Amino acid sequence: MTDRVKVKEIRTGVSETQDDLIEVKDLRTYFPTQDGVVKAVDGVSFEIEAGKTLGIVGESGCGKSITALSIMKLIEKPGRIVGGSIKLDGFEIVNATDDEMRQIRGNEISMIFQEPMTSLNPVYNCGDQIAEAVSLHDDMGRREAHNKAVEMIRDVGIPDPKHRAKQYPHELSGGMRQRVMIAMALSTDPALLIADEPTTALDVTIQAQILELMKALREKNKMAIMLITHDLGVIAEMADEVVVMYAGKVVERSDVNTIFAQPHHPYTHGLLASIPRLGERHKRLAVIKGVVPNPLNLPKGCLFKRRCPYAMPVCDTAPPFQQLGPNHSSLCWLTADQKPPAIGANASGVIAEETAAAMSPSK
Amino acid sequence: MDTTVNPSLAQRLPGEIDEVDLIPVRTYWQMVRRRFLRNRLAVVAFLLLVVLIALALIVPTLTGEMYRKTSLIKPYAGVELAAPLGYDDIGQNIFLRLMKALQTSLFIGFAAVSIIFTVGVSVGAIAGYFGGWVDNILMRVVDVVLSLPSLFLVIMLVAFFGGGNVWVIVFAIGLTGWTTAARLVRATFLSLREADFVQAAQALGASRFRIITRHMLPSALAPILVAVTLGVADSVVTEAALSFLGFGISPPEASLGNMMTNAINYMIRQPLLIVYPGVTLILIVLAASFLGDGLRDALDPRQRAEG
Repeated sequence: MTDRVKVKEIRTGVSETQDDLIEVKDLRTYFPTQDGVVKAVDGVSFEIEAGKTLGIVGESGCGKSITALSIMKLIEKPGRIVGGSIKLDGFEIVNATDDEMRQIRGNEISMIFQEPMTSLNPVYNCGDQIAEAVSLHDDMGRREAHNKAVEMIRDVGIPDPKHRAKQYPHELSGGMRQRVMIAMALSTDPALLIADEPTTALDVTIQAQILELMKALREKNKMAIMLITHDLGVIAEMADEVVVMYAGKVVERSDVNTIFAQPHHPYTHGLLASIPRLGERHKRLAVIKGVVPNPLNLPKGCLFKRRCPYAMPVCDTAPPFQQLGPNHSSLCWLTADQKPPAIGANASGVIAEETAAAMSPSK
Repeated sequence: MDTTVNPSLAQRLPGEIDEVDLIPVRTYWQMVRRRFLRNRLAVVAFLLLVVLIALALIVPTLTGEMYRKTSLIKPYAGVELAAPLGYDDIGQNIFLRLMKALQTSLFIGFAAVSIIFTVGVSVGAIAGYFGGWVDNILMRVVDVVLSLPSLFLVIMLVAFFGGGNVWVIVFAIGLTGWTTAARLVRATFLSLREADFVQAAQALGASRFRIITRHMLPSALAPILVAVTLGVADSVVTEAALSFLGFGISPPEASLGNMMTNAINYMIRQPLLIVYPGVTLILIVLAASFLGDGLRDALDPRQRAEG
């Protein structure tokens, strides 16, 4: 448990190390089913520094939420983390016991779920629910916990917090409920906040307010945020770094400016092209053709090749995760200027495999 | 400053919204009371049950052993101030006997229900929460208990452990009656387990016990309450049936069942003898059922009384 103490120290600024707060390395979460193994998360790696926001984008079913749940170790049976490591400031989560996880959940890592309408318990009022979250981890009297709850409700910008604390979830609007969820997640002062599509269920004005709120609290508490979304607008607004996921793999990683200015992976291109823009009335919206491959029947080599406009014979060999810049890497055969690789578009077999291995950073 | 700034706007925190609705806040129990009081039938049932319980508590306590006092002069004697319902075939005061019987029946009803509640809720909650093989084993046990003819089982237990003992009867009824409660709780828990707020509680680091007792049980309260109130009615009826058949409480102790057995012999001569315990039994059962219905509607937090 000494690791957890260390985490708290970092955030309060006692030790100003540049170390990553959370380090996910080659995470693999598989679901054995009757028809075969579904590799929901297959070799995902990323790091988040304290006080930074990592955005995870990708379409539905690409493994974003499973990655988040893996970090919380809340994968439902039969799913299992089969490999890799998740280190919360040096503490290995993958091998943690249930008791240790209970200490970490809510205390070190909090999670905001995407459904504010159903994520609050209907039989307790909001104040009681936040007070419960507080008293689960801090030794606090009932009254103290309740006062803290009212304080948290004020902090997330809900007017008249005393009155609101006595109300039940069904008496609040969606935006209010999401704020209560955020208040609950932040009440224990977590080091990492996992926000799983926190604004998807909300309308745009409330969405903007919630994002502002999360930003303000990030500055105030120096916490790291892992923001899962399929809304690139939210990413542009919030994130420092971006991970693009496709079919359980990270296909592109970079800082937020590069992803929008110089996207490399054809999938990222497709995502960016499919955002509707104001003013372009008479053009059809660009779409990525096809659907996500069936996780039980993944193509050989590149997972995106069936939908990729650049697909070439070499794509039958698993592409390298090539480094394109200091903070930019992409899982693709294309060179930095979108040309076929040096070994040629038709290369295959051992030559391609060896080239891919040489181009990928050693693990 | 030249520009006029709305002070309330200027002070607002980023992200704050000026949405103050003026619904008066009522606590949960205030809302429950309000909804319950709007249901006339439930209120009547509640009052009736209160009256019956009060009578069962007060009258036998005040009169002591008088309910079993026989008299050679009084058989079939008419109504008098000390005996508002008259006397029976051996000169016992019918009113006092009825009150004592009411006490016995209600005691057995509530005692058996506490067994039903404890066992049924625990088994149902464990089966529903954990699912898988735990659920399978527990539900097969429920099936086995359900497949046995329950009255027969109760009679067997009572005959084996000795009739006439109130605790044996309570135990026998409790042992056969918990299955419905267990099934109801299990069904509710199976659906609650997938609820987002349960996952949210897990993400907060709540322990299993806490999730079951604090987060899931309150949501399952409505079906549990209905099962419990119906259980009271069921247990009272079962006890009456046992005593009627001569396996339960036997004279000189009083029970609604043995009063009816006794009254059969005098159906023609004094038909009212069977009416008194019969009507009392019906009143208990009806009051318990209507009360259960009313509570179920009132306790559901998703309902809100209009106006």
